[in-house]
Amino acid sequence: MPSEERKSKAQTAAESDVDSFRKDLGPFVVAAETTRMAMVFTDAKEANHPLIFANDSFLSLAGYDREEVLGQSFDFLLGRPAGPDALAQVEATFAGSSKNDFEICFHRKDGSTFWAAVFISPILDKAGDVVQHFASFVDLSKHKEEQDHLRFLLAELNHRTQNTLATVQAIAMQTLRGAANKEVVDAFEGRILALSKAHSLLGRKLWETVSLRDVIDQILQPFGLNDRRVARFSVEGDDVRLQPKAALSLAMLFHELATNAAKHGALSNGAAGKIDITWQAAPTPLGDQMRLRWQESGGPPVTLPGRKGFGSRLIEGGLAQDLDGQVHLDYEPVGVVCQIIMPVRREAEEP
Amino acid sequence: MNRPFSGHRVLLVEDEMLVVWLLEDMLADLGCAVVGPASSVNQALAMIDAEAIDAAVLDINLNGQMSYPIAEALAARGVPFVFSTGYDKDTLLDGYRAFPVLQKPFHHSELSATLAKLLTPREPSAKSVMAVNAEAPL
Repeated sequence: MPSEERKSKAQTAAESDVDSFRKDLGPFVVAAETTRMAMVFTDAKEANHPLIFANDSFLSLAGYDREEVLGQSFDFLLGRPAGPDALAQVEATFAGSSKNDFEICFHRKDGSTFWAAVFISPILDKAGDVVQHFASFVDLSKHKEEQDHLRFLLAELNHRTQNTLATVQAIAMQTLRGAANKEVVDAFEGRILALSKAHSLLGRKLWETVSLRDVIDQILQPFGLNDRRVARFSVEGDDVRLQPKAALSLAMLFHELATNAAKHGALSNGAAGKIDITWQAAPTPLGDQMRLRWQESGGPPVTLPGRKGFGSRLIEGGLAQDLDGQVHLDYEPVGVVCQIIMPVRREAEEP
Repeated sequence: MNRPFSGHRVLLVEDEMLVVWLLEDMLADLGCAVVGPASSVNQALAMIDAEAIDAAVLDINLNGQMSYPIAEALAARGVPFVFSTGYDKDTLLDGYRAFPVLQKPFHHSELSATLAKLLTPREPSAKSVMAVNAEAPL
């Protein structure tokens, strides 16, 4: 085929360029050939970026002999299932329209795959035209394997935590069944389940950060958060990211408030009661701070509880400390108000 | 106590004894007659062959054995079921994610709401499970 012949002429010319490097830059070429960093040069004058040089490390990484890759297009190395995204990324990098390093999956000759961090840099001639590209590869297989293993371990740990909490629930129910009053048993079970929901949410986010809205969703759903028949909740605020400890504390806090509302407050008297949850996050001299307000209304008249139970101790004492902030619980006649001031990060999306 | 599912026979597949007791109590409180419990795939498959079953609660990891063959057998007979697992839903195998999942630990009201979807009305619920199963690449 004529095009093959033309390509092979170009190839010959490019290879003779490499030979001339070899003469001019002797020690550097030897270094490039023998370094542990896998690298290739491609011909920028051909659209498909054929390889004109491949060093020993590259050949051992990709599992090819030198004559099998020289003259082949760069895309050839990506292998069969290289998606359009991968090809577009490679093309954009060669064209200089994208950052010049990226991670991509390659196929070895034997069909196995490896992930590599690729760095592509243009080589200019005296006139400033791009004549070749230099590409180097760092094998990320081990790194990816470790990442996969870590994910696996984390999933396993989450699974075991959930199973342990299920066992705690079972032990409690078996131990207390018939022996304690139902209210105590329900309260205990509810708290274990709230804790487990928060753990499960954190587990899905790999114990990094979780969104406040997700925490509210998880905890308040059993209390009718998304009940389309009766709108009992309004939730307003730009989402914030919570650290795991703050997420766990807020989950427990929302659970206690909602449980209390279901027993005595705005969720205790049919459809009349309502809970408004609002928050704003703003920069302060101490960093970004969030002010969150839980406001109940429309419930039965509020009376100050005679004795502080675990719930209000948890809300006012323990959680303020865990959240590194302040929590105020007020039994206002119109409804319970809980105000929280705590440090947060304001970004709305995960990195 | 309100027993909304009186007369329904529910197969319980679970290998953790304490959790078995908890779920047996929950199911009994809802009025269900518990079939089993089965703690292995073979035991469950034998019960599916031998017993009349209206629905099933299926732990996914039975002492290292995955319970997917049980799910297959139930789906083939049109018996609706829910996975009960400490794993996240995302870790289910492809083709099984369309089935309902109760993430352990769960409240009896969550079990009750799921059974309500599985059991009423009985015929359509059995059909819909089959339909989901037919669409899913297994």
